[in-house]
Amino acid sequence: MTNQRARTSREQWGSRFGFLMAMVGAMVGAGNIWRLPYVTGINGGGGFLLIYLLLLYLIAIPGLMAETLLGRYTNRGVIGSVRQVAGPGGWTGVAVVVLVVNIALMSYYAPILGWILYYVYHSILGTFMQPGFNPLVFWTSYTNATVLVIATHTIAVGLVAIVLLFGIRDGIERIVRWLFPALLVALLAVAIRSLTLPGALSGVRYLFTPRIEFLLRPATWIGALGQALFSTGLGWGIALTYGSYLRDHDDVALGGGLFTALGNTSIGLLALLAVFPAVFAFGLQPTAGSSLTFISLTYVFGQMAGGYFWAIVFYLGFFFAAFTSGLAITEVGVTTLTEETRFGRNTVVVLFSGAIWLVGLPSAYSVDVLNLMDFIFGTWGLPVAALLVMLVVGWKLGSDPGLGLEWVRLVELNRSTDLYVGRWWSVIVQFVIPPVIALIVVYYVISNLMSHPTQTVGGVVLIGAIILVSVLGMAVLERPGADEHANGGGQ
Amino acid sequence: MVLPASTIAVLLIAMVALWGVGGWALVRSLGDEERKLELLERQETFDSYSPRVMSELRAWIESHPDHPRVDDATTAYNDCVDRLGRIEETFYDWDETTIDDLERL
Repeated sequence: MTNQRARTSREQWGSRFGFLMAMVGAMVGAGNIWRLPYVTGINGGGGFLLIYLLLLYLIAIPGLMAETLLGRYTNRGVIGSVRQVAGPGGWTGVAVVVLVVNIALMSYYAPILGWILYYVYHSILGTFMQPGFNPLVFWTSYTNATVLVIATHTIAVGLVAIVLLFGIRDGIERIVRWLFPALLVALLAVAIRSLTLPGALSGVRYLFTPRIEFLLRPATWIGALGQALFSTGLGWGIALTYGSYLRDHDDVALGGGLFTALGNTSIGLLALLAVFPAVFAFGLQPTAGSSLTFISLTYVFGQMAGGYFWAIVFYLGFFFAAFTSGLAITEVGVTTLTEETRFGRNTVVVLFSGAIWLVGLPSAYSVDVLNLMDFIFGTWGLPVAALLVMLVVGWKLGSDPGLGLEWVRLVELNRSTDLYVGRWWSVIVQFVIPPVIALIVVYYVISNLMSHPTQTVGGVVLIGAIILVSVLGMAVLERPGADEHANGGGQ
Repeated sequence: MVLPASTIAVLLIAMVALWGVGGWALVRSLGDEERKLELLERQETFDSYSPRVMSELRAWIESHPDHPRVDDATTAYNDCVDRLGRIEETFYDWDETTIDDLERL
């Protein structure tokens, strides 16, 4: 292990702006563009938004501070960080679970990136503006064209790999410095256009009017909790990985916590204003979910004055959002495997991207497989990974059973930062976030058991098996004396 | 169509809580970075903690003498005291009297 650490020289972010854009770009993904509008719509609009904002400040921001802090404290990827604070053995298996969930996530995110690329291409060709264009037929014929979908999946993985081959500073940082501001401008332009359409205010009214009856429903609160926790990328290992490349004088609380969570949700708000007014102006179904982006909006652009231009701007922005997330999700594995194996970074990028491409083939081949992967890993995998990361920070980095995180807050979190973080942070990270995530997982299981019994049981069993194999496997591999046995008794 | 007052209120709250505070955090974070780099260039280091945090850190160290991390905390505290003794310009809002009263633990 010592030799391995000596071999691994770590890069650092070149600038504060680069780090902030990388963090917020990583957290803003396809889900922000369509999921927040959709979830807000079905949960009663304004009331849901108010609950969501409250929970964002109370839970997501402290959680992101904690995860970023773990990375800066250890200067390691996911496995190295957990090993450093919790010791070798079973706990390291927890980090392996996070890594496996990331691989699974990227395996179906890459085909989605490919879809968006295809829509960017057709927006440039002006396909959506052609007379008689049918969005549903276009979508169905594309997703049924296996070779084409696999080709776009391959291009998406290739583009991610090319950027990662250049490293943190010359690859990720260099590209997100341009892509994230471009996404912001693109969404802002589409939002202004959308809000000035005749009938657009109906969309604003639908989204922002608080409907009191929804505030009393547990489902609204659980939906807001899930959105606040998981749309900010908490527990994916991204904040930890990007935090590990921070410089000693960089702050965590202001940039890694507050700005990342609010910047990410600010884009969500912009997406609300870009999508919903247009959807209402053209009399479409506001609760259409993911198909809103790929089917409904192409119809909207086809009908809109200047729609050719707005379609290009929107789908480019959408691609930038998804691409910066794809870079971050893949980087979690690249950083960790570069540290944990004998391979150099470039070799790891090529091998890891190849593995993601291969594992992603079934999702590229069939939308049903992709939806199943999302159901299993998006619904169960991510919350469980977030719970495990928060347990490591709250209960292993905080090294005593009382308010053990107090020393972390004082020595690490409040170091070199302009934002004072009080004792409330330790209480929330140790005692509030883990049970809240556990509650959400249990709620998801119960509610999905009724509607999707087979997939739910299968998903729970699969995630349980991944945890069991990872924890037991690492406990055996990293048991005291395992190295000596492997090396012939330490000779 | 005229929007109801409650709709406008929620929209404004969301805009202030997200765009307002998020924009403030971005500007402040970038401003801090510029200041830190200036200080690092001029005096090679800067104070790592604010007066408030140093006071809390000292209280925590004194009330947790047997904590497994008390040595780390003491090192961090003493390091900041040393830095404050070496530098001419501080990052945080320290006054001379408070700095003079600080002692290593």
